[in-house]
Amino acid sequence: MLLLKTERDRLLRPLQAVSGIVDKRHTLPILSNVLLERTDGRLTLLATDIELQIQTIAEQTDASEPVALTVSARKFQDILRALPEGEVALQAEDKRLLIRSGKSRFTLQTLPAADYPRMSASTEVAVTVSLAQRHLRRLIGLVQYAMALQDIRYYLNGMLMVVRAGEFRLVATDGHRLAYASMPLPGVSEEIDIILPRKAVLELARLLADNDDPVQLRLGATQAQFNFGSIEFITKLIDGKFPDYDRVIPVGHDRVFALARTTLQAALLRAAILTNERFRGVRMVLSAGTLKLVSNNAEQEEAEELIDVDYHWEPMDIGFNVNYLIDMLSNVAVEMVEISLKDSGSSALFSFPGQDDFKYVVMPMRI
Amino acid sequence: MPIRVLPELLISQIAAGEVVERPASVVKELLENSLDADATQVSIQLEEGGVRRIRIADDGCGIERDELRLALTRHATSKIASLDDLERVASMGFRGEALAAVAAVARVRLTSRTRSARQAYAVHTEQGGDPSEVVPAALAQGTVVEVADLYFNTPARRKFLKSTATEYGHCEEAVRRIALARADVALDLSHDGRQRLRLAAGHETQRLHALLGADFAEHALPVSAQAGPFRLEGRVLPAPMATARQAAQYVFVNGRFVRDRLIAHALRQAYADVLHASRQPGYVLYLDVPPELVDVNVHPAKTEVRFRQPQDIHRLLQQAVERALARTLVASPDRPQSAPFARYAESPPSQAVQLGLGVSQPRAAYFASQTIAKAWRDMPSGEGERAHAAPAASIPDAEQALTRVSAELRRDAEGDLPPLGYALAQLHGIYILAQNAAGLIVVDMHAAHERILYEKLKQGQSGQFASQRLLLPVVLTAGPGEMATLETHAVALAELGFVLGRAGPEQIAVREVPALLAAADVPALLRALLADLAEFPASRVLEAHRDELLATMACHGAVRAHRSLSLPEMNALLREMERVERAGQCNHGRPTWVGWPLAELDRLFLRGR
Repeated sequence: MLLLKTERDRLLRPLQAVSGIVDKRHTLPILSNVLLERTDGRLTLLATDIELQIQTIAEQTDASEPVALTVSARKFQDILRALPEGEVALQAEDKRLLIRSGKSRFTLQTLPAADYPRMSASTEVAVTVSLAQRHLRRLIGLVQYAMALQDIRYYLNGMLMVVRAGEFRLVATDGHRLAYASMPLPGVSEEIDIILPRKAVLELARLLADNDDPVQLRLGATQAQFNFGSIEFITKLIDGKFPDYDRVIPVGHDRVFALARTTLQAALLRAAILTNERFRGVRMVLSAGTLKLVSNNAEQEEAEELIDVDYHWEPMDIGFNVNYLIDMLSNVAVEMVEISLKDSGSSALFSFPGQDDFKYVVMPMRI
Repeated sequence: MPIRVLPELLISQIAAGEVVERPASVVKELLENSLDADATQVSIQLEEGGVRRIRIADDGCGIERDELRLALTRHATSKIASLDDLERVASMGFRGEALAAVAAVARVRLTSRTRSARQAYAVHTEQGGDPSEVVPAALAQGTVVEVADLYFNTPARRKFLKSTATEYGHCEEAVRRIALARADVALDLSHDGRQRLRLAAGHETQRLHALLGADFAEHALPVSAQAGPFRLEGRVLPAPMATARQAAQYVFVNGRFVRDRLIAHALRQAYADVLHASRQPGYVLYLDVPPELVDVNVHPAKTEVRFRQPQDIHRLLQQAVERALARTLVASPDRPQSAPFARYAESPPSQAVQLGLGVSQPRAAYFASQTIAKAWRDMPSGEGERAHAAPAASIPDAEQALTRVSAELRRDAEGDLPPLGYALAQLHGIYILAQNAAGLIVVDMHAAHERILYEKLKQGQSGQFASQRLLLPVVLTAGPGEMATLETHAVALAELGFVLGRAGPEQIAVREVPALLAAADVPALLRALLADLAEFPASRVLEAHRDELLATMACHGAVRAHRSLSLPEMNALLREMERVERAGQCNHGRPTWVGWPLAELDRLFLRGR
């Protein structure tokens, strides 16, 4: 039975949107498959890794007879990608999926759609928010690099999403540094705090478009749903208590100076070459008018970078993991960054001059 | 039931439960008595695994007639007289329990004659464990103890005994331990009339051969170190010789065989870097500790000891064994080979043998290699120079390689060839083939490079303990014992980059972690640290974790197989291997190179037959 006949790209693009989360080494074989489903004359593609599920509408079709089957996501995608541009026909045939295009012909094995573990959208939605895709995308970009990776404090392996009256905030931390970004959210009075898993955050950042089209957020206690474009994105949430970010963001650091982001970034990238390759320590030596970056490695090789800054307090010397600074600097697209310091034992605060919608806190390193 | 004082026999039988676990414990106790009596010759005869009969005869000082009956009584001993003596006890026994305990569960006959006595006297136990009247007997000099029908009066205990072969095995092990500890005493052991061991006094090499096998006797490396009042002597088996079977693992503290957690830990750490996980280390070590700094009165069987300065002992053991195992190829032939059994002055120095490769042997000894060298010398010299000027890139043809080697050989004509020789070619991009004075050397280049990088990384990191402050302190719960341990070691930990604080009565907050381990699982690391901290130096535990990280880095940094190397690169690697410690094994304990002496190759081709 003919499932669909369309241009290759009109099938490949939605497939790529969902197949990113398919786990290649899963113990449950059906999870390496993607679900193809035709209902009401629409063909949808759906993939899941149990925690996270993405569904896209691929194409309107003329036939309306319902069909559902699952097929290996990787093979399906590899075939489509390797085919020349042109028309592709999908045909469901007795436990097989037939792909035809020009003079090529492929038969793939299928597994029954009924066995596919699909998540249903939760009915308990506490808060519904609508944002421009571009805004959510930018905000995620500002914090996602600070998420922990495989920390045993499982709640750090994700991103906190906070809805407050009039404000939308994202927070991520790995215990050494914390990134916070916020934006105004008019017309919402409900409040909610949820933790999105790391994989969902990265996938979301990948899928969101850089445009003003809306993304609909439906946030509940155990599930979050994001609808944008033709994509329906559902993820389970991390159940845990995220650290109190307000308490770790310092206030009243009085040594405040601003400098050009790219200047600092480039100098740090150079200094990073000669840091100890394991703990990546770089020292910021501040004295009137200058910021000196110093790094050295186990072989006693040394790098020194001088930057002119408007610093006019007592000299100080503070160490950081250079990766933590570079991570932030390469993820924010601003002209100037502002650094607030207290002393060499206290955290440092990075922000954008004159704004309070981004804060990055890094703990120093004793070198 | 009313409270009663137990009868003497029952008390002794209860005590016997601890001291006389099986026939082997009787053998051990009686042998120790013989040694404490300054015997120079002890013979042990066993029947049916020691259950039927144990007879131990020595030529020691003997027991006076009047004291014979007393010897069989509980808490009677000549070895100590006061608490002062107990605190610096130098004899093997001192509790005065052994003979009485044995007498409570077996039929014992004790015959003895002192040097000054005109004749020997004997005493035996009667029903109820009481000693009989002393009767005259015949004996040259010394003491004979005969123990028959072990557990005849405690049938329940008897049921726990294993087969004759197993019980004999345990008895032999007991004799073995004493034999290793006291090479100055002649021992012979027979079982059911057949002689099993015959060890003359003084010949410790022979003794090692007989007790631990030729492999151990020939290959074990000498260990000798001193730290303050502590002395360590002995031999350790180099890692490549280790087998999967539990090999010889003997540690003697002041001549007493012990099984100690601290010592085992130190040795495991010393071998950690070089031993493959599936292999067991082998060692015979003698630790001399002033009696007042060690407490042997922990358990009646005395296989456990307690040190006053456990951390010093740990350090001494680990460092000395590490040094012995780490000996570099270049340094080892020059280093004086200290006699491992220096404690027995009359012994000839043993021949410590380098792993299969005769680097310490003079080059002239190899007739075959000389012939080859001569052949090279006869080659036209211009060709050699040319090859030297433009070394072949990756897979050099054999001739060019030979001439190049010959050029280098000539340069080294006066001195010896380097231990690992010069590279000839690369085999399948995996192995380096090189020749040295002895013959062929095959090097696993990835493994070798990995070790070299690892050692360098370790050197680079030592002493650097940068610490990362935590934005969110890691809080973990700890018991009161753990809290106390932490507080005692807070300063040492802070120096290593671990800054901790009390977050509640049973909670620890970690505020700073060593930067090198910042990505590690902090609570797990800290728990491991806490568990070991009481006994081992904190730095050791941290170093172990750090080394794990560095090993992974080294593995990723090392040249992969299938990368072609030029001759100069290969030679550089060989030279580096000679300089680096522990170059014989990669970080996972696999060998990095093997040597094939010409003699062995000749054998393959049936040459010279």
